[in-house]
Amino acid sequence: MYANPVAYIFSCIFVIFAHSAMLVNIWFNGNFSETRDIAVLGAAVIILDIAFFVVILFFKQMSYVLDFLLILILNMSVIFQSCFICKFNIKHYITCIICLAASKCGYILCKNHKILQSNKKYIYGGIGLLLLLVLIVYFAKHDMWIRIGSFTLQPSEFIKPLFVLACATSIADQQKKHKILIFNVVYENIALFCIMAAICLVQVKSHDYGSLPTFISIYCVGFILRICYPKAKFSKKKLVAVIAIIVVFLLIGLKYAPEYVQHRLHVDIWSDKTGDGYQQSQALIAIANGGWFGVGPGRGYLSNIFAYDNDIVFATVSEEWGLLFALMMVLTILIITAVPLINPTRSYYHATMSSCICAAFIVQMALNIFGSCNLIPFTGVTIPFISSGGSSLLVSGFMTGMLTAGQSPVFNEHRSKSKSKSKKQEEAVPAWRWKE
Amino acid sequence: MNSLNIILCAAAITALDICIFVLVITAYCEKRSSKKNWHELAHDMELAEQDKIYDLGCDEVLIGRHASADIRLPDLSVSRYHAMLTVSNGIWTIKDIGSKSGVFVNGNLIHEIILHENDVIKLGNRRLIFRKRRQERVR
Amino acid sequence: MKSIKRTQRVTSLIILLFIIGMAILVLKIIHESSFYMMNSDQLQLGYVYDRKGDVLYDGTGKGSYPDNYFIDVGNIIGDEKGQMDNTLVARNLEKLNNYNFSDGLLKDGGKAAIYTTLDHAANRAVFDAYGYMKGCVSAYNYKTGEMLVCTSLPSLDVTKGYDNIQSFESATLLSKNLYGTVPGSTQKVSTVISALEIMGSGLLYSKSYTCTGKYLNQTGGEIDCHNAYGHGTQNIQEAFENSCNPFFAQLIEDTDLPFERLKKQYEKLGYVLNGDKPKYLDIDGIQCATASTTLENPLEFKTQWGCIGQGDTLVSPIQLMMWESAIANETGRMTMPYFIDHVTNTRGTVKEKAKTKYSDKLFSENTASGVKQIMLTNGADRYSYLISGYNIGVKSGTAQVQEGAKENSLLVGFVDDPSFPIAFCILIEDKDSGWLTTENIAQVLLDNLKNNF
Repeated sequence: MYANPVAYIFSCIFVIFAHSAMLVNIWFNGNFSETRDIAVLGAAVIILDIAFFVVILFFKQMSYVLDFLLILILNMSVIFQSCFICKFNIKHYITCIICLAASKCGYILCKNHKILQSNKKYIYGGIGLLLLLVLIVYFAKHDMWIRIGSFTLQPSEFIKPLFVLACATSIADQQKKHKILIFNVVYENIALFCIMAAICLVQVKSHDYGSLPTFISIYCVGFILRICYPKAKFSKKKLVAVIAIIVVFLLIGLKYAPEYVQHRLHVDIWSDKTGDGYQQSQALIAIANGGWFGVGPGRGYLSNIFAYDNDIVFATVSEEWGLLFALMMVLTILIITAVPLINPTRSYYHATMSSCICAAFIVQMALNIFGSCNLIPFTGVTIPFISSGGSSLLVSGFMTGMLTAGQSPVFNEHRSKSKSKSKKQEEAVPAWRWKE
Repeated sequence: MNSLNIILCAAAITALDICIFVLVITAYCEKRSSKKNWHELAHDMELAEQDKIYDLGCDEVLIGRHASADIRLPDLSVSRYHAMLTVSNGIWTIKDIGSKSGVFVNGNLIHEIILHENDVIKLGNRRLIFRKRRQERVR
Repeated sequence: MKSIKRTQRVTSLIILLFIIGMAILVLKIIHESSFYMMNSDQLQLGYVYDRKGDVLYDGTGKGSYPDNYFIDVGNIIGDEKGQMDNTLVARNLEKLNNYNFSDGLLKDGGKAAIYTTLDHAANRAVFDAYGYMKGCVSAYNYKTGEMLVCTSLPSLDVTKGYDNIQSFESATLLSKNLYGTVPGSTQKVSTVISALEIMGSGLLYSKSYTCTGKYLNQTGGEIDCHNAYGHGTQNIQEAFENSCNPFFAQLIEDTDLPFERLKKQYEKLGYVLNGDKPKYLDIDGIQCATASTTLENPLEFKTQWGCIGQGDTLVSPIQLMMWESAIANETGRMTMPYFIDHVTNTRGTVKEKAKTKYSDKLFSENTASGVKQIMLTNGADRYSYLISGYNIGVKSGTAQVQEGAKENSLLVGFVDDPSFPIAFCILIEDKDSGWLTTENIAQVLLDNLKNNF
């Protein structure tokens, strides 16, 4: 059972406290036309907080900190998104509840890594199916989204958690070596490479270059954490060589990239303020306008600009709440990814999984923030948790659930014979002792 | 920009900061409790050599001469990756993963076996004892 | 355990990289925020002042000023409306904007301002002296680099807006000081500098050529002199004073003046030769053209005509003025001019105090003092009664423009007085359309500057 009741209660209180402080800020500074809207928003946020705190108790986890962080950031994003449109954003609220549910699903599915490992072929199958779906959607409608009602789903997003699961590996799996000619290889690594290649091909084919870096980073982390094992003599020289080859390929890829990608790499936003650089230049102006403490929730003008709630959401938050708050928001997401550093996972599978998720989150966040602030080319990726967008939130929630699973793992192997064999280890008779 | 806005925004930032801080402290509390929990799950075992104690901190412990092994035995008689300890349902198992000199538990050459307390494991020239963890502090 | 530690190391590396990126981003945003804000639609501009605190531009739009109060500096100070791009305000909006990252955009009470080195009264006097004539005047302190006068006619009053932009005369919206013009005989200063630098004074003074009013050069080109009867045989000092074209054509042809070295020296002076990419000087963000000419063959008409100051040669008045500083200082280094003495931020703190800068060495000190002597002698012989009260070194010029249809009058020079170090360049367009002479303007200019110096 949960061992830290005091910490649990304090966490609950302070999460609600943080949300209340934001709501108070809206009450006095906000640009809401009706006070009723603020009341609805406040009630919704606090009720969701409390409901979630009660519900998570039924899951009997060892660690709840990720759940607290998740509800903290999600309700923050509900508040942000509501302020952008100056009324309660019910759609985003529902998406956030789905996201919370997804996180719990992620936890239940992933807490026992032995089950995942024995079902790896289904994971590969799932990735294959989704890739097929991406291609079908692309060739049928020439875009990347499936629309169901007012919710849009992006199938390529759903590949991410499955790909993370495929990338994660246990040490035992890395020891299952097979000899092909003179090379000791692990079949799993070859399979992973093939999947990566397939994903790259499909993404390039469907012109979704934005999420490509995310997949590449997940793969790189997975790869680095695997190459320690297949051959004992995997020297640093070879590693450098591999990295060099990858860089060369990237450069070649950039050189022969399609016209519009090339264009994006070279655009000077200030000389093309009304054209291609419009969003970025407006985003930067908005951050400058916001200063450290912002212009007040709902008072920003950036919320009139296309993609204010996902692609340039960092700038929108920065303008309304100030750069400091936006940085705190980023810090919260960083802490989510950093929890496995504080409390190490107990199995290599979960550890690699956590690293891959960390890579996925941070690369997405970096692409979004640095892209919208003109440090790197602008790509249309989302910040996890903050950006609006059903599939992105759903997947982020699921991945947080996977992180939670690493924190509260279960080590049970379902095998019938173990029942009979299982003897209490304490019963064993000492056979030999050190002289002490 | 008025001063009220700054004060309230600063208050919101401070509240968020405190909340993050509290959550980090919670994470540290959970670290302690989950460590305890792990020891319960893994029956508080450790591997001991004459002058060294190896903690069993995760569910797969790789023993070998290679730098990437969890328990590194720098001895030429030990293979690079010699054996692996795994835990499941609270039971520790040792498995030979293609070593040259084999794994001996209590003198018997084995491939895979469930370990019991105070079993002696011989890997090459190295002897390890699988035993209950000594409490470094009195509870 | 080691394996778990490894995954943690990878995670921390990723987080660390991100934090570094984030830190760079925050620093970049704070550093460049006023630049971002400059591109915004909302601006809260401050004032531009002259050297005595007189307003040259009012960004708040609240003050009231006499009609045409700003007209003398209208096209160099400019405004934020975007019609004029190459002006002080347009290029320094960032400094004039009442914004900083921690305070945000100040609606009122901001003290952001630009304090220029210009002298409004002198500008005004020179502007008025032109009457209905057109042209431009620039003058600066050749010891410090402070721009004192920079006026160009026709000009505009920026407070009146651009509603009747169609009725503006051509070149109203730009300061002629910044753009190339045909230098006429003032080009001979450069040629004398080059000749003196290459040949040395002994050799140059030993040369004498004969002018018969017309010179047929070795390739059959005809170089006319403005004196149809000819100047007879002259040395360099006499030729400079007479501004004798045949003398300079023969000097260019002389084998003691190697053509390659001449080209090198011209490039050193800042000329862009034979249609290369034009170069610009940056004066507080304002782009100022340098000089360009064609030098292909010393025996050809085009090249000789270029060295005399006609043909393809174009020099901006500011560049002409800057060469005078290199001569007057006797260092061979140009003093770089500047408009902005200092700026104040929103809180009124002074920053970016201007410093005097010098160019690379264009020619030797000996050359500088040689040319200075030639110009001072010219000033004493020919101009002492035209511009009274100052010991000046000058060179006048008459430039034919529009295929010889009109003639511009130019005067470049400097005052040889350590307590009143002024270098100037005066241009009067279409001099035959009125009685105004460059000497009149020079007198007005120097008198007004002297009064307030």
